[in-house]
Amino acid sequence: MLITMKNLFGIMALLLVSRFALAQPLTIDITKGIEGNGIPIAIAPFGGGAPEDIAGIIAANLKRTGKIAPQPAGSPADYSVTGQAQPGGARGYVVRFQLAGAQGAALLNLSFDVPPNQLRPVAHRISDLIYEKLTGEKGLAATRIAYIASNRGFWYLVVADADGQNPRVILRSSQPLMSPSWSPDSGKLAYVSFEGRQPKIIVQDVYSGARRVVSAAPGINGAPSWSPNGQRLAFTLSKDGNPEIYALDLATQSPIRLTNSSAIDTEPVWLPDGSMVFTSDRGGAPQLYRISPGGGQAQRLTFQGDYNARPTISPDGRTIAMVHRRNGRFYIAVLDLQSRQFRVLTNGGLDESPSFAPNGKMIIYSNGQRLKAVSLDGAVKQDFDLRGNGRDPVWAPYGR
Amino acid sequence: MHYVTRNLLAAAALALLFGCASTSENTAGQETGVQQDATAQEGLIGQPGGEAQSYAYGQAPSQYDAYDATGGTTGAPPSTWGVGQPVAGGGTVSADRIVYFAFDSADIPAEGQAVVAANARSLMSNRQIITQLEGHTDEQGSREYNIALGERRANAVRQSMIATGVAPQQIRVVSYGEERPASSGQSEESYALNRRVEIMY
Repeated sequence: MLITMKNLFGIMALLLVSRFALAQPLTIDITKGIEGNGIPIAIAPFGGGAPEDIAGIIAANLKRTGKIAPQPAGSPADYSVTGQAQPGGARGYVVRFQLAGAQGAALLNLSFDVPPNQLRPVAHRISDLIYEKLTGEKGLAATRIAYIASNRGFWYLVVADADGQNPRVILRSSQPLMSPSWSPDSGKLAYVSFEGRQPKIIVQDVYSGARRVVSAAPGINGAPSWSPNGQRLAFTLSKDGNPEIYALDLATQSPIRLTNSSAIDTEPVWLPDGSMVFTSDRGGAPQLYRISPGGGQAQRLTFQGDYNARPTISPDGRTIAMVHRRNGRFYIAVLDLQSRQFRVLTNGGLDESPSFAPNGKMIIYSNGQRLKAVSLDGAVKQDFDLRGNGRDPVWAPYGR
Repeated sequence: MHYVTRNLLAAAALALLFGCASTSENTAGQETGVQQDATAQEGLIGQPGGEAQSYAYGQAPSQYDAYDATGGTTGAPPSTWGVGQPVAGGGTVSADRIVYFAFDSADIPAEGQAVVAANARSLMSNRQIITQLEGHTDEQGSREYNIALGERRANAVRQSMIATGVAPQQIRVVSYGEERPASSGQSEESYALNRRVEIMY
């Protein structure tokens, strides 16, 4: 019996592979709209005949940072990268690379044994090693993003590399999906699903696909957000009549209500000290407020424009990014919690759903149809050229 | 055993039909597999219901097979929901079951009040009927705030119906926010069509 079933799966896998080979792959390019100059670095093509253009991936990753300016091999540059990716080693390929300064001194000289399907990840890792060596900041090339796409009555939860390549549809539904949120270890995603025609908050293990419903109360179950230690989930429930913020201990499954107003309270996010920032229209229009870990009196944080919502917190806890409206247009803006400086980062339109990169230097967001990213100083702008639509992007934390 | 095999075969057939990459033997298992009947699971804490298929990251398909094979996708949101479209249960949303709202408002305008009153009378004349009020918004602003705004609109219709004499037990409320636009355009005309409550029964 088991053998029969195994055969069945073998046949299925074959059929699926052939079907997929025929389908056109989704690609996302981030090549447009990059501004700013950077450290010149000459990158030579990697010899050895590997099926991935490793030098090309590294160049694209470094260019996207806005701080490094890749040049063709042989160009006069402060730094140079050379390497090979050759069949061999214990796992299929040996990838070697060297980063050298202008005088030829080797700054990095490393090699990796990888299977063929890890050539792209290793190119991302090399990109980050170079970026970190030259700037002193942690890189983003090896990180991931998640987002929601939809078409023709289906909704998709997609996990992709930070360059938008290698998309994986980890959930497909005939009902709306929204508000994905990464766990701090980047191993799980919480999100809202309308399957069953009622909203539910579901936690999905990214690597196994296992799912668990953590809230399916009457009314709204929305805006899930992980606590910094990953043990609690904050979200919005309207079971008591209007939207209020709750925090759920994931181990004990006991939710605690944190707000109590007749207005809309939603979109909670955690600060490192356990206090929470959320959206409320208790003052007549949506603005951001802060409550201490035990609840209590909320303190208003935003006074700019006539609409501030969907807060998200930088990894160091110092900056809040949000959706900001003025003169009828929606922008991504940031508020520095210490200096109280408020800055608008985008050109505006229907901008929404900001999410910080794990190094705090970039913010990914959506204009309702497309994914975009902007640096915290506003100098670097990226367009994710999706073949389809994308929204609700969230950048995964550094993790596994 | 036969039953289990049948389920596996059904899962395999579904997976093929939907173009799923079920390369794992536990695909049909409780955790990663084709989910069980939605109605049996609805509202329960634990396993989710049907209508959705999850995949382990390492086995997840690399593209959305519902995308236009010609590559001509414009990125427009699904336009298969809303006015005149079939809904579960075989009904359709006709104009006399839609209440429209002004921007950023949950106040029922005069035309909307007539729609609410007519439907309230239907519900009062048949106490067995249960209606689902579905609140919607246009796409401007934050998605989750729009979920709350859509619920506020649906609750405004609910309160009006209860004031007319409809029993509270006859009314359910759900908000889809901006997730199911009736019109996919980005004009004020489209937005006005999307700011609505649909009275479903």
